[in-house]
Formats: sequence, C-alpha cells, structure tokens
Amino acid sequence: MAFAGKALLAVVGVALVLALAVLFFAWSGLYNVAASQPHWALTRWFLDFGLRRSVATHSAPITPPTLDDKDLVILGAGHFDGGCASCHGAPGGRSDPIVDRMLPEPPELNRAVSDWSAEQLFWIVKHGLKFTGMPAWVAQQRDDEVWSVVAFLRALPQMSEGQYRLFAIGDVEARPNDGAEIARNGMTMEALTRCVRCHRGDAQPRSALVPRLAGQSQAYVERALRDFAGGLRSSGIMEPIAVALDDAAIAALSAYYAGAPNLAPSAPPIESNADQIARGKQIATEGVPGSGVPACLVCHGDTRAPSFPKLDGQYAPYIVGQIELWKRGLRIKTGYGAIMGAIASRLTDEQARDVAAYFASVAARPAERPAPPSPPSPRRGRRAR
Amino acid sequence: MRDKRRSSRVKLAAPAACVMLAGCDGVQSTLSPAGPQAHHIARLFWAMTAGSGAILLAVILVTAIALFAPTRRRAFLADDAVVLAGGLIFPVVTLSALFVYGLILLGAGPGKTAAAPIGIEVAGERWWWRVIYRDGPSAVESANELRIPVGRAVEIELSSDNVIHSFWAPRLAGKLDMIPGRKTVLTLSAETAGVSRGQCAEYCGGAHALMAFNVVAMPQNEYDEWRLREFEPAQEPATQETREGKALFLSHGCGACHTIRGTPAAGRIGPDLTHVGGRISIGAAILATDEASLARWIKHNQDIKPGNLMPAFDIFNDSELLALSRYLASLR
Repeated sequence: MAFAGKALLAVVGVALVLALAVLFFAWSGLYNVAASQPHWALTRWFLDFGLRRSVATHSAPITPPTLDDKDLVILGAGHFDGGCASCHGAPGGRSDPIVDRMLPEPPELNRAVSDWSAEQLFWIVKHGLKFTGMPAWVAQQRDDEVWSVVAFLRALPQMSEGQYRLFAIGDVEARPNDGAEIARNGMTMEALTRCVRCHRGDAQPRSALVPRLAGQSQAYVERALRDFAGGLRSSGIMEPIAVALDDAAIAALSAYYAGAPNLAPSAPPIESNADQIARGKQIATEGVPGSGVPACLVCHGDTRAPSFPKLDGQYAPYIVGQIELWKRGLRIKTGYGAIMGAIASRLTDEQARDVAAYFASVAARPAERPAPPSPPSPRRGRRAR
Repeated sequence: MRDKRRSSRVKLAAPAACVMLAGCDGVQSTLSPAGPQAHHIARLFWAMTAGSGAILLAVILVTAIALFAPTRRRAFLADDAVVLAGGLIFPVVTLSALFVYGLILLGAGPGKTAAAPIGIEVAGERWWWRVIYRDGPSAVESANELRIPVGRAVEIELSSDNVIHSFWAPRLAGKLDMIPGRKTVLTLSAETAGVSRGQCAEYCGGAHALMAFNVVAMPQNEYDEWRLREFEPAQEPATQETREGKALFLSHGCGACHTIRGTPAAGRIGPDLTHVGGRISIGAAILATDEASLARWIKHNQDIKPGNLMPAFDIFNDSELLALSRYLASLR
C-alpha cells in the first residue's frame, strides 16, 4: 500500500516536471516559428497524420448529394476563381511566389483533390483548417454553396485550361491588353468583384443556379447587394463580393444590369412540361387560396414596386433554390425577406417547382423606365409607375 | 385568534369576489344580456343557480340531521318513503322539469322565435371573421364587425372552410359552432343600439385568443343607410398623401391578399379593406382603428398577434407608412 502510494507520487512528480519543462521551452522562445524554416520530418508527419485523421473522423457522417451537375460545377468554378485560386492555383498556372512561401503550402488542388473524398472536401471547405490559413465558409448555414465548390473540385482534375477559363472567368479570350489599362487597374480578370464571372453581362449566366440580372429592377439589385454586404442575406459567395463594393459601385452596377435587358425566357416552354407550366401559371396569377398563398404576380408582376424583383425569364433551379432557403429560414432577416418567408413556407416543393417552371418559361419584359410626365391621375403616387 | 383569522379571510375574499363580479359586467358578459336570446340564457342560469343553491342547502341540512340529531329525530331518514321520495322521485321530477324548461326557454325544436335571414353570413377564418352581406346576387365583405338592426330577430349563417370555430356574442346569444363543410344558423336580436363584443369560443389554433369581433346594433333606418354605404366601392383618396398611400398599397403587394373594391386590389386571403377606416377595430377586435394602430399593425403585426397569417411588412420608411395608414384610415 505504502509502495503504491510512493509510486503514484513519483509518477505525478515526473509528469509535473515534464509539463514545466515544456512550458519553459515555449517561454524561452527557442522554438523557431519561422515559415522560412521547414518542419522537421517528424513534426511534419505528425501534423499531417493528425489533420488527415481529424478530417476523416469529422466527415464520416456526411452524405453527399448528387454532384454530377453542370450548374453546380460552374457555380463552384466562379467562386473558386475569385475566392480560392489565389492560394490554390488553377489550371493554366498563375503560381504565386508569395503563396509558395506559406507553411504549410496550400496544395495545388487540381493535383491534390483526388486525395480526398467528396464528404472530406465538403468538411474542409465548410470548416477550414486550424493553423493552415484555410478559412471556414463565410455562411455556415449555406451547405448548398459549399457543395457547389465540392462539385467543382471533383471535376477539376479533368478540366482543361480553356474549359476552366470558360466556367470560372466567363470568357476564354477576355483579358486587358492595353498597357495603360493594366498599369492602372492590373489584371482585373482576377478581381473578386467581377460580376460577369458568374452573372455575365446581358447574356444568360452559364449556371442555372446563378440569377439572371440583366433587366432586373435597379432598386432590387441595389437592395440585394446591400443585404449581402450587411450580412442580412447569407451567402459565402456573395457576401465577400458585396462587402468589397462601395455605395457608388453598388449604384453603378445595379444601373448597369437594369439597363442591360435580355428578354429571352431561360427555359422556353417545351411540350413535356406544358402541364407543369400551366400549374405554375395558375399559382402565379391566382395563388393557392386554400393554403394562403397569394398570387405571385401582384408583387412580382408589372405593377410591382421596383424594390420587388422581376421573375420573368429567371432560371427555374435558382428560384427553387431560393424558395428552399426561405423555407429553411435563411432569407428572413430583412423586411422583404420576412414577407416572402411567410409565403414560401406555405408552398409545397412541387408547387415551388411548378411556379419556377412557369417563370422560366416566360419572356422578360423590357426594363422599366421612369414614368413619362403625364397629367396627374389619382393613381400616380411617388413610387407608382 | 380564530376570529382574527376569519376576519382576515373575509378581507381577502371581499376583493376577490368584487373582481369576479366585475367580470360579469361589460361588453362581453353573458350576465348583462342585451337581447331576448341572451335574456333566456341569463334567466336559465339564474334559475339553475337558485335551484341548485336551494338543493345544496337542503342536502346540507339533511346531512347535519344525520350526523348530529338525536337518534329518534333522525330515524325518519331511514324510512323507505323518504329514500324513495328524496333519492328517486325528486331528482327525476326536478331534472325533467329543468330539461323541459331549458328546451322551451332556448327555443329548441319547432316554434322557436320567428326570425328572418337578412342576408348576413359569418365565416370563421384563421384568426378573424369574414362577414358577408348579401343583397340578392351581389355580396360585399367586411371583417370582424357584425352590424344588425335593433329590435328584430335576425338569422346569421355561420360557416368555416378551415377548422372548427365557435361564434359567441355573449350579450346577444349563445355560442354556436362553425363547422367546416356545414352551414349553421344562429338567431340573435338586440334590444338597444350599441356595441357588444364577441369571441371565438372553440380553440382553433395559435391566435385563437385574439380572435374577437364587435356586434354593432343600429336603429333600422341608420342600419339601412349604413348598409347602402357598405355596398359602395371605396372612397377615392382626396389628398396627395392618401393618393401616395393608395399607390403604395397597390405596388407593394397588399392587393394579393386584400380587396379594396374600386381598385385593382382583389385578394381574398385576408380581410376586405374597402371600408376598413369605418370599422371599430382591426386585427379581429384587438386594436382600435386609427392611423397609429394601422401603421403598427402593418409593421409589427407578428408582435401584436403572433402567428397570424399576415407577414409583417417592415419595408416602409416612416413617411410611406404614414401615407399608407392614412389612406387605409380614410376608407370609411
């Protein structure tokens, strides 16, 4: 008994001395944290081992959705080019010597991505990695956005440089070629705030998960950008971009898109979905009185205030995705969002798909113009058109 | 000591009784009836209270005799005739009499109060009352306010297309359920002009407790005038500000759920607002109708009446909200 007691005392004493020694070593500052000095092989192995095990364990319960979806891949590509490529590189080079001096060095993903499963990539993109410089996803609730990046990463190893530029930058040939312009603005192709990368100009976005902005109400685009910038509308893709825009830029951008009409429907009606479009039209014009759904077109039709978005010709997958966000309570922080949130919660998934198919099938109307001066009528208020 | 305790109990009991009795007065009390149907109910209530009180006293007396009286005095309680009379004949006669009295008083079966339908239907919604006035083929809607002429029995059709509600205006009549898929008919009449209040009396979901209404009884000639006005479309806004309010109403989606007759707004999900400014209350008799409460309702209705089906419209700046609520208040 006395022996066991002494042995225990000895073990505690040794542990205490070791702990003090470690603390003393850290206090002394003798360990070199310089990124210019590579890790010892043992440290490197240990850190790598710990990281891989942590990712594997934490990502075990995740089930990936269908990732073989062109819309997801293109959406992910646009974000990757603006948000990730500066560290992780992209097909076609652009190795950054500053990034090369990071420790650990960010892996070049078109090679390294095959080391990880889809759920492991999802976990890393969503949560980031401590002490590596890899940030967590800005909007933690937007798993849908994180999956788009994963879908892109899975497709990346097979992507040619041309294909990558088409998906991520929008235009294979586009680059500033005027020396004076480069001198002033740099290679602006890489700028985060280049909207056309995903939304394009007056052409349709290449991903149906990206909203068409050409011809959208100016007031609405302005409000959307301010909501993103203020954290009222959560998106890991749009928040960083909106934060980088000042008031003048927001005004100029929304004016540009309002004046760039594109009238073609995003999904012209085809015979096989005629029934669906008819059901959607019924909801858009009459609502679903039994479940308290008002007619969409009262707020989204021609007589709407400009602060409400126009939906004619909008992509169906985008509309369905946004209704889903409202149902999950992710777009209800603003006054406008709270209104739509109440309505979206009354739509079934099938009704949401129907009404989205209807809006996708109709041609957008020309962008609204200021009301021409006319004799005052009782209906002409300040915001009436 | 014992006396002191008793007096303190009295001191406590007196204010409590006052509070309880005060609850029996006022705009929503079945004990201050304002029409024959309600009088019958009140009379039945008092008759039952007096009768059951007398019976209670008699039972206490008999119990006291059984416990404390000398043996020879209480022997009669064991007599077969007394047991038969007190235990069988008395309850059968009393309860049968009460039953018949109740049937006669409440007008059950044939021969009830002669009443005429005057083209009013009340539909229970979640959580408000849709009041429909019919005049031949045409019909107009109002909400949360039932107007009836004084001095005659009228029939109100009750219905619901969602859940079971119960229409109860305690000063005028008993409660009657509104059952989905059926029409029920309630007869009520008011003896004097004035406002009384009613309440949904069947739990119908989240905002059930805030589902009330007003009944306005008016002299026949005033009622006729009012009814003519009610069938008119909404007034055109007269000032710049109310014109702005109307434009805001039409461009910000209000018309998807609300009707204002005479404008493109033709939604039927929420209450008809054609004459909302002329109604006593908004939100199903929970706020007095004025500019301030209309503005509060538009912006904060989810705080005022949590779970109601109208989303809060927190999208207007102060001047817009003022214009909109002035416009609505002007719709008399």
